[in-house]
Amino acid sequence: MAYFRSHVLVSVDPVCVEKGAYELIETLQDELVKQGLVEEVQVLETSRIGDPETEGLDLMVYPEAVHYTKLTLDDVPFLVEEQFLKGRIAEQYIRETKRVVDEELSAPKTKEVRIVLKNIGEIDPLNIEDYIARDGYMALGKVLTEMTPEETIQEVLDSGLRGRGGAGFPTGLKWRFISNAEGEQKYMICNADEGDPGAFANRRVLEGDPHSVIEGMIIGAYAAGASQGYIYCRAEYPIAVRTMKTAIEQARNFGLLGDDILGSGFSFDLEVRMGAGAFVCGEETALMASIEGQRGEPRPRPPFPAQKGLWQQPSNINNVETYSNIPQIILKGAEWFASLGYKKSTGTKTFSMAGDVKNTGLIEVPFGITLREIIYDVGGGIKEDKKFKAVQTGGPMGGCLPESHLDLHMDYEALAEAGSILGSGGLVVMDEDTCMVDIARFFMDFTQDESCGKCTPCRIGTRRILEILTRICEGKGKPDDIDTLRYLCEQINENSLCGLGKGAPNPVKSTLEHFLDEYEAHIYEKRCPAKVCKSLIRFEIIDGLCTGCTLCARNCPVDAISGERRQTHVIDPDICIKCGICEQLCPYDAIEIK
Amino acid sequence: MINLTIDGKEIEAQEGTTVLEAAEAAGVFVPTLCHHPQLTPYGGCRLCMVEVEGARTLQPSCTLPATNGMVVKTNTQKVLDARKFVLTLIFSERNHFCMYCQVSGGDCELQNRAYDEGMTHWDLQPNWQPFEVDASHPFMVLDNNRCILCRRCVRACGELVGNYTLGFEERGADSLLVADYNVPFGESSCISCGTCVQICPTGAIIDRQSAYQGKETEVDHHIGVCVECSVGCQRNVLTRDNRLIRIEGEWDAVLNHGLLCDKGRFLPLEDDRARLLTPLVRKDGSLKAATWDDAMKAIAEGLGNGEGIAAIASTRLPIEDLALFKSVFADALQAGLVTTLEEGKATASLAKMAEKLGKPFESNLDVLKDTDAVLSLELDLVDEHQVAGFFVKRQLTDGTKLIVADSKGNKLAENASLKLDLKAGDENAFLDKLHKAVQYETGDEAFDKAAKFLKTAEKPVIVYGEDFAAHADEKALETLLEISESLGAALVGVKGNANSMAASQLGLEAPIKVNGHKSAFVMLGDEEPSQKLIKQLEEVPFVVALAAYGSQLTGNADVVLPVTMWAEQSGTYMNMDGRLQKAVQALEVPDGVLTSRDTLLKISEALSIEPDADWKTKVTSRTPTVEIKEA
Repeated sequence: MAYFRSHVLVSVDPVCVEKGAYELIETLQDELVKQGLVEEVQVLETSRIGDPETEGLDLMVYPEAVHYTKLTLDDVPFLVEEQFLKGRIAEQYIRETKRVVDEELSAPKTKEVRIVLKNIGEIDPLNIEDYIARDGYMALGKVLTEMTPEETIQEVLDSGLRGRGGAGFPTGLKWRFISNAEGEQKYMICNADEGDPGAFANRRVLEGDPHSVIEGMIIGAYAAGASQGYIYCRAEYPIAVRTMKTAIEQARNFGLLGDDILGSGFSFDLEVRMGAGAFVCGEETALMASIEGQRGEPRPRPPFPAQKGLWQQPSNINNVETYSNIPQIILKGAEWFASLGYKKSTGTKTFSMAGDVKNTGLIEVPFGITLREIIYDVGGGIKEDKKFKAVQTGGPMGGCLPESHLDLHMDYEALAEAGSILGSGGLVVMDEDTCMVDIARFFMDFTQDESCGKCTPCRIGTRRILEILTRICEGKGKPDDIDTLRYLCEQINENSLCGLGKGAPNPVKSTLEHFLDEYEAHIYEKRCPAKVCKSLIRFEIIDGLCTGCTLCARNCPVDAISGERRQTHVIDPDICIKCGICEQLCPYDAIEIK
Repeated sequence: MINLTIDGKEIEAQEGTTVLEAAEAAGVFVPTLCHHPQLTPYGGCRLCMVEVEGARTLQPSCTLPATNGMVVKTNTQKVLDARKFVLTLIFSERNHFCMYCQVSGGDCELQNRAYDEGMTHWDLQPNWQPFEVDASHPFMVLDNNRCILCRRCVRACGELVGNYTLGFEERGADSLLVADYNVPFGESSCISCGTCVQICPTGAIIDRQSAYQGKETEVDHHIGVCVECSVGCQRNVLTRDNRLIRIEGEWDAVLNHGLLCDKGRFLPLEDDRARLLTPLVRKDGSLKAATWDDAMKAIAEGLGNGEGIAAIASTRLPIEDLALFKSVFADALQAGLVTTLEEGKATASLAKMAEKLGKPFESNLDVLKDTDAVLSLELDLVDEHQVAGFFVKRQLTDGTKLIVADSKGNKLAENASLKLDLKAGDENAFLDKLHKAVQYETGDEAFDKAAKFLKTAEKPVIVYGEDFAAHADEKALETLLEISESLGAALVGVKGNANSMAASQLGLEAPIKVNGHKSAFVMLGDEEPSQKLIKQLEEVPFVVALAAYGSQLTGNADVVLPVTMWAEQSGTYMNMDGRLQKAVQALEVPDGVLTSRDTLLKISEALSIEPDADWKTKVTSRTPTVEIKEA
């Protein structure tokens, strides 16, 4: 391995790429060549390091951990000379900016156990040797030399590993099905179409530890008898796609992909296919249709993919996280893995924690941990120590669970029983200022937009629900809306073709169950208890608190506020558009939402 | 066989059938919308949901394979609720206010299914957006407001026709039926076969010609063979008050299973040629209206007999007419020339080969429906014999290799995996080269590749057209037979008109050479004469024309007899693969007009001859190129 005394990290976050990150890398390389430093200083690409809102480019130098910001390309020669040739920090480029730490992955917090995320941030994802140095591809070696495909399947089955894409089907069983299926060609597919808004666990694995996924896929292919694999990654993850492609190329060069892997006689190769942005393509049959070049629409099951999948051949689809668990199960044994977790859910699960919680970001916890532990111990509690109201698990098709469910032990069964799903591990925490009707409307807006349109219940039903919810939020709810919503939810769930339709009503169903009073307040009292729905709130200026500073009146975009200087001001409710600017600006908290 | 229970009935079903098929076979009605027997099960509309014991939720019967011991219920409250729910949603989606719709009142599957469920209204508030109606197509109107997004048209356009014009843009509730990449329907790649209009369950695609002219229940149906070419599609001619309304393909037909082309479906209804309704006789140099008796008299005087007569008939006419024609002119009058307008170009060489072999050598058309490699010789199945072309085109996405050998502009070649240059008259050299390539690697890349496609195929087919048959000599055909034998390839000969093969079987295939003939008898029926024929007949002193429509030929004739057009006559047709099928009269014969057959009988009477009306033995006495069968 080449040794570099310094490492320069440049963010290739889409925002930074827009600002010229690649030009910066090129200029840096040129300058390093010019100054004869190219053997000593390595330029690396990384995800976000600074505040993307800051103007100009930024980079980070290690081991000094100096963050240079607001750079232009013209600054590069001087910076390189100062930093790397003369060995001193170029102070003039260290400027005051908002320091945004990568919130997605920080050091493990209490109660976290990292299996899937163990290499992330620790290794250079673009260097296969880094992965190998941390026992990478040892499991593959073990499987190919010491285990039969059947033993491999049994090991995975014994580990109790279940699909991390959300449905929780035992992975070993899935592999056994495809292994038993007859077909000219079998396919191993990795579902990397992580489309849930707010979910980013798969992306981190793909970008940070690509070889764990590749290794898991090769092991699976060996067990299944597949010779071709596809990683279906959404095009919105350009870095993940690039990283995976590089990793596949490296694995191929190392003889870990292609013909006669490790001299075992087993051959398998991999290709990355990009999705075009349809959420439904995360559904396995729609995903296969998309790989085939068809319109991304789900197909009826049976036949199941294990019998007739991609191009009508036996196929196996697992999620990124499922695959990346495999190498460690093989290395450390099924027993070790099964010892983690809870009841029928073994191992760990990553969660993308978002919303009104103090520590947002990516976490990995063993199954069985309670929601309370996740939110308060790992998440650090609710922001500004407000009151917890609900947590939505499993992405847009998940349910919203109230405080009474906080002691629920997280596993597939418990969540399903509570009317939600584990999904791909989205976790949105909501505080007391959240309107649950508005939240239900928000998620329904997403799912109806992402419905492929093939089946009637999902295509039309979700749109009807959205219309009703929008009406309720606008204060035009009708008394029979609740019954209509319940009817639609039940029928859509019963009759839809795929998981998207079947799951789409969950946010509505769960909020109707746990937060019915909020719906009733909207419909009967034309009141939004959380004071979120604009049509149902009114801004008023509190007499006595208002000092007549005129700040609000000057900033009101529609001139709805009037009043003499040093006199209490008044908002004309007929003009007010409820934008909330006055409330944000008022230094005396004199504006009240009613 | 498997056994399952549907609504308490014990049912035996073939393995691989769906629950819906099993239910239908057992006489249990399950409502459907997106399902169509000719299409791959889709499972989109969710109207056919049934309760299956042991299943967590309702299951779509159209896609669910029936399994042994399965217990299915199609009439529980849960199932009925689901049906009503699905219909409610569909009605709430777009403008489905029936009273303004052309298919309302029996022709709309959506409306019918709602009536079945006893629906009088729906409870959900609709919120539809109006869409522009696309009336740019000459034959069809596309109205997205009536669309229920079942995609039957899209699937039919691809799966059945292989044209892939229709598709959906956007997704979810915004999905919109569009032609190509959303171009006006009339400017799209549509070939006007009309399968979409026929398969649409609602009024989303309607036929301009017949719209608002009569519901299915108010029209008369006449099911018979199409006479526009030699494929022999079964079609249903719809009439009302002795007026042509619409033509539809017969879904149950074993050959075309519902498909038609523009020539069989739309164009016959657009015929605007001037109809002949009275006999015309030339007097003092000009044609004058006359009675049938006057006309008969003129024929008796002018036709003469023996070598001096040239008799020519259209191969669009029924076998009965052609056999009678042959009997009158070849047998009774001993005419010098008895032939057809096609002159046997597409059949003569092939028929000779069959006679030489003493047995048929061509295959059934059905081989084109299931093949993995097709070699097409001098034949454009996109322009002519289109339905046979659909059979090939729709398989191309499944990896079927298409090799097109032609030197003319050939639209089929656009879809070909490989193109070979075959110049007219060069057939021998071409086939020799191909024959060699089949035996060993010749070094000619294209021919070697073609040979490889055909050799590696399990069910190769060689299909050739009229041009090939017209140019190929005995040697060429022998080489073709050797090639087909060594490949195990089926041969399909595409004949020309609806009764080309029958004419060949009757031996009516002499070339038209008018030389010193004193009279000509031309039995045009409803066929348009070629300019070449008109010119040839100008030298003949006395011309009798039997025609449904006026043309330059009838204008030059000395006696013109008005006869029926295709819809006014019935009779038998022999298609390109030897199927005998009936054409059925759909319209009444207009006053003063006779069928060609009756006209021949009338002339026989005037000439005091007794023709033989038998046709069955005559048409089967010669060794055919393909086995003749009663369909």
